[in-house]
Amino acid sequence: MIGWLRKALRVGRIVEPAPPAPFAAPAAIDALRGSMQIRHVDAGSCNGCEIEISGAFGPVYDAERFGARLVASPRHADALLVTGVVTRNMEEPLRNTAAATPAPRVVIACGDCALNRGVFADAYGVVGSVGEVLDSVDVEIAGCPPTPEAIIAALRSVTRR
Amino acid sequence: MRTIAVDVPTVEVKNHPGRHHVGCAAAGSATALIGAAGVWGGLVAVFGSAPQMSIGWLLPLSGVVLHLDPLGGFFSVLIGAVAVPVGVYTVGYARHERWPALSLTVLPLFVAAMLLVTAAGSIPTFLLAWELMALASVLLVITDHDRAEVRSAALFYAAMTQLGFVAILVGLMVMATSMGADRFTEMTVVPEPLRDVVFVLTVAGFGSKAGLVPLHAWLARAHPEAPSPVSALMSAAMVTLGVYGIIRIDLVLIGPGPRWWAVLLLLVGAASALYGVLQASVATDVKRLLAYSTTDNMGLITMALGASLLLSGAGAPEAAAIAAVAALLHLLAHAAFKSLGFMAAGSVLAATGLRDLDRMGGLARPMPVTTVLFGVAALGACGLPLGAGFVSEWLLVQALVHASTSGDVVVALAAPLAVGAVALTTGLSVAAMVKAFGIGFLARPRSAAARQARESAASMLTAMVIVAVGCVVLALAPVAAAAVVARAVNVMPTARSAAPAVDFAAVIRLPGLGGSIAPGLLATAFVAALLAAVVAMRWRARRRPPTVQLPLWACGADDLTPRMQYTATSFAEPLQRVFNDVLRPASDIDVTHHSESRYMVSAITYRNRIADALEIRLYQPVVTGVKRAAEVVRRAHNGSVHLYLAYGALGVLVVLVIAR
Repeated sequence: MIGWLRKALRVGRIVEPAPPAPFAAPAAIDALRGSMQIRHVDAGSCNGCEIEISGAFGPVYDAERFGARLVASPRHADALLVTGVVTRNMEEPLRNTAAATPAPRVVIACGDCALNRGVFADAYGVVGSVGEVLDSVDVEIAGCPPTPEAIIAALRSVTRR
Repeated sequence: MRTIAVDVPTVEVKNHPGRHHVGCAAAGSATALIGAAGVWGGLVAVFGSAPQMSIGWLLPLSGVVLHLDPLGGFFSVLIGAVAVPVGVYTVGYARHERWPALSLTVLPLFVAAMLLVTAAGSIPTFLLAWELMALASVLLVITDHDRAEVRSAALFYAAMTQLGFVAILVGLMVMATSMGADRFTEMTVVPEPLRDVVFVLTVAGFGSKAGLVPLHAWLARAHPEAPSPVSALMSAAMVTLGVYGIIRIDLVLIGPGPRWWAVLLLLVGAASALYGVLQASVATDVKRLLAYSTTDNMGLITMALGASLLLSGAGAPEAAAIAAVAALLHLLAHAAFKSLGFMAAGSVLAATGLRDLDRMGGLARPMPVTTVLFGVAALGACGLPLGAGFVSEWLLVQALVHASTSGDVVVALAAPLAVGAVALTTGLSVAAMVKAFGIGFLARPRSAAARQARESAASMLTAMVIVAVGCVVLALAPVAAAAVVARAVNVMPTARSAAPAVDFAAVIRLPGLGGSIAPGLLATAFVAALLAAVVAMRWRARRRPPTVQLPLWACGADDLTPRMQYTATSFAEPLQRVFNDVLRPASDIDVTHHSESRYMVSAITYRNRIADALEIRLYQPVVTGVKRAAEVVRRAHNGSVHLYLAYGALGVLVVLVIAR
């Protein structure tokens, strides 16, 4: 534990300087200004987006300083961060998760697969993109996979910090 | 479902259901009436003159001597107060469980024998009543004798209670011969080395009845297997007579003793309290849990007695008197919440046939009254404010914390350690009772039997409501019991004082120590805070969006199944890990592989069993030794009548030679 503390002291802060706050996304909901609790749902992703999300919430990009936080249950969440194309097995859980998230609820589709089925478009186990399964997608993050900067910019468009 | 005894009397009973109902009602009302008589007699003895009676012709050589002083009167009130609701409860329970005629007959006799113990005024009478009580309780334990576990438990209990009786018998005989008197009122001082012998023997004997470690093993076997009203009577009334014996013989008649007596009582009490509560917190059988909780509470009471003895010897009479009051008050509280707990467990057992917490659950909906009543009992056993056991435990801690040590090393060491033991016991008992209540009654039913539960008969509910009222009164207004406790405590030499040690009122004050507490006001404040919180929540909810009805969150799956819930085993698992060295659980995992490949698993079996480690370590060697000895002695028993006649003649010859 001493070594661990020593390393923390030696390395210091490695966080990237924050770029200027982006414009608010048109569909952003005003109630989530300042703080947004996010439940991440992997609807059938290749885990590329997950790696970038963990990068975005890691010490270098540190999304939590902008008021975005990952939580463990949709009951605690304001927003759903959905990655991947929606597969047959995840269709029902995704709907259940959306129903379990209290209103006002924001759906963020992360990555090309979630936006438009991406490279898995014609695969046999695919139901559709997130927009085709849930009624609405409020924030879109394009890219295959999207960079941590893009993810953070999208989250900041809701939290406006 | 529980198998129903199909022996000869039961078959007869099935042919005449009407007659059996009358029998149950008669046995129940007889028990309740004897109990009421015990309460009345006890109150007369506590407040009035001590009635004394001597019946010379009833028992050869010594006669029967009855003398009820305030201390005996206190225990008589306690036993009677437990017997009245248990009698009412038995009317419904015995009918439902189809008790045989023998048990119905013995139940009132058992209560009478217990009352006789408190009223005994001489050593032979005391021993006779003690043995009657033990025999009656053994007969009641084997009510359900078709099941092998019941027979084994009853045998175990019978052996232990008789061994305890031998210790008491020898101890009291030594005492009587050294004093040359057998009436309690005519007793003088016992000479020194014999006094210690009597103390050790009687503490062992009475401690085994009170379920003190390491002689507690019968409790966890007999209480679960006995019918619930019998468990309630045994745990709430009979076990307290072990404490009565310790007070009567060791503290009043031959005491107050030297300092090591006090330290021994404190040690035994602390060990019992901690070991009992630890076993209770990992038990999965609800009645076994309650039985271990009895060991825990008797340990606390023994600690209070030890503290009283220690402090009175160390020149702190106020604290000593408070500890003695704590002991007696906790006896009352324990009798109330433990009889209620066993009756509520019996109500569940009658409705579902279940004792295993891992298969219970979801009983709050079909059995609301039983659930609330078990909650009252569990709160009492926790020792938290608003529970019946709170005030007495608070008094004990106050006596230990505020005892002025005045440079006394033993007191300075023992008091803080004892406070620690009481605190750990209370904390673990909260865990045990939260488990019993939360796993057993809340959540969803874990088995078909729990799903089909129905509320119990009206007589059983009535009896439990009576006891629950008693629990609430003891919790909120212990002043109700103040006078009885004060008179009884005055008999004890460690607590004799002109002014009462504890000033019971709306605010309980300790004149000697300067502590005070108001359980009634605490309860009022708690209820007020609860109401305020509810009102505030309602008021805030006006501004929220309208509520929606949604299914429970099941991690995206369709529904939760009862198998996903916490069980009693999993709830206690962290505790079991922490206390692994004490509990010594035996767990093993069997992995069965597929026939085609070692990499594929077809089944995993996990078994976890917590046996009583002390029982295995201490009792098993003794049992093995006795068996070996029996093997040796067996050679003398070859079945020949001639040989046996020769033994008889030889025996008579030896007796004649000795008695020449």
